[in-house]
Amino acid sequence: MEIKFEPRRGRLVIHAFGRKYDWIIEPRYWRNPVIGFLIWLSLPLIVTLVASLINIKPVALISTLIFANILIIVSIPLVLQIIGTGRVNFGPHFFVALGGYTAALLSKNFGISPILTLPVSFIIGLLIGLALSPITIISRGVYFVLITLLLPFILAELAYWRSDIFGAETGIPGVEVMVHTGNFMNDLIIYFYISFLIGFLYLLIVDRVLRSRYGFLMGVINEDEDVAAAYGIDVNRIKVIVFTFTSGAMAVAGWFLAHYQGSFTGPAWLTPAFLILVLLTTTLGGKGAIYGVVISGYVIAMLREVTRTTFGELSTVALFLILLILLYLLREGFWGLYRKRRYREYEPSIRIRRKT
Amino acid sequence: MLKVSRLTKRFGGIIAVNDVSFEVKKGEIVGLIGPNGAGKSTLINLISGFYMPDKGSIEFNGKEITKSKMYERAKMGIARTFQNPRLVSNMTALMNVIYAVLGSERGKKISLVEAYGEAMYYLDLFGLLKKRDIVVSDLPIYELRLLELARALALQPKLLLIDEAMAGLNPAEAESVSRLINRIREEFDLTIIWVEHVLKILMKSVERIIVMHYGKLLADGFPEEVVKKPEVVEAYVGEERV
Repeated sequence: MEIKFEPRRGRLVIHAFGRKYDWIIEPRYWRNPVIGFLIWLSLPLIVTLVASLINIKPVALISTLIFANILIIVSIPLVLQIIGTGRVNFGPHFFVALGGYTAALLSKNFGISPILTLPVSFIIGLLIGLALSPITIISRGVYFVLITLLLPFILAELAYWRSDIFGAETGIPGVEVMVHTGNFMNDLIIYFYISFLIGFLYLLIVDRVLRSRYGFLMGVINEDEDVAAAYGIDVNRIKVIVFTFTSGAMAVAGWFLAHYQGSFTGPAWLTPAFLILVLLTTTLGGKGAIYGVVISGYVIAMLREVTRTTFGELSTVALFLILLILLYLLREGFWGLYRKRRYREYEPSIRIRRKT
Repeated sequence: MLKVSRLTKRFGGIIAVNDVSFEVKKGEIVGLIGPNGAGKSTLINLISGFYMPDKGSIEFNGKEITKSKMYERAKMGIARTFQNPRLVSNMTALMNVIYAVLGSERGKKISLVEAYGEAMYYLDLFGLLKKRDIVVSDLPIYELRLLELARALALQPKLLLIDEAMAGLNPAEAESVSRLINRIREEFDLTIIWVEHVLKILMKSVERIIVMHYGKLLADGFPEEVVKKPEVVEAYVGEERV
């Protein structure tokens, strides 16, 4: 089989397997989503290679990648929720804990497998989200923030009050793990790919939603609800739907945690520190930028790991100081940095697909 | 087409609209005038569903809409503009009109590409085609007024409520907006209620004038007759020379 390279002005034409492929040499025209996907997919390999080069154990690094994926799984639905409701939810970890407790209790008490606890955790998150969704209609601004901020505190207190059920700070042990190959490293890599799949699926779904007519309408709601109503948009309906489904999506992160760690300790995830990391992931990603969330999730998780191993007791202070500086420097987030390189971009954009 | 009966709206101790009743026939263009604080904009807000009335009822095309929400009224065919243009400021002019096309009753049935095409048509109608990619916050007031009208028209309304389309415009621009309003009224067979302070232009454009004062309906009739009524002149003394 002959492979022939034909350099042309600004691009490289590759003749292979009876077909012709074009590769545009100018980096700004590269298919960035494909490159991004391939990098994300091969992260465990990259990390393992780097670890072997600098002679450290890759376990901690793979665990960091999994933590980054957890941040991404929570933050992508949160970004959609912020766009669709025009409000910032300060209680995403409440839904994470809901999913985690649901999966842990079902697995420990009834021996239900992770395959079945997944839809149940999602539905519980969905139903509680639906029950709480009127807050997106009746409250806004600081009132909405306070209401959503109180939810995780209430759940944490409930976990302490009924420690016989929720296990308080010791958590619920004995949860069936998803993967058990006998090799810890292999298990971690599989967990990475499970969390990657969830994150990637969320990315695709949210991207699709944001590019749909509903995504367009959410953009107006985010800007001005009165104007949206004047446009004939049923603002309340969209807010309720978005809040409900994104709540269910966040609960899946809890499901993953429970079956990844083999236990679920609510108070460990219902902390302001985790909330701040999630909010920073969404903010540093860039305004409404779901692809930026993937970048910021990894940067924050890596920074967390680096500061933890470098600064000891002051690791949290160092982490938040660095993130503070990043917030100051990157007003438009990581996605803003990327977009500055682009030749021309209108946001949101319409893709016209022509039938061939 | 529109029947407003004994409509009342209070804000605390202030009665912004007090027992107002009138009817508007299909195809009519009605001017709504009055001194500052007369309750004109509140009345527009009540008809469009921006505010809910404390008393009274509103019928549109024979259907009771008093309790209908703003988006439901927009879907029924009541579109409005705002006194201070309210658009999605961080989006382009084109996107703003696309939103309206998608928000309209037929919005669910058409594709994004069709919505794009329709939005271009409405922008062209108001001479804004060249400005389609300009972010709304960068547009001057005259173009914002036109864009609001294009946005309202994209909803394919039966009744268009215009709240002070001339505010902030110079005489030439005001004249141009007035001509456009009359043109779209004829082309799209619209019924229009037009709140305005610039009486000279309004007098030329409307067939009927309703005068409000202190939340009450003061006069209703042909423009030339209404502005000569002593109670109307008295209400306007110091406000505007008619």
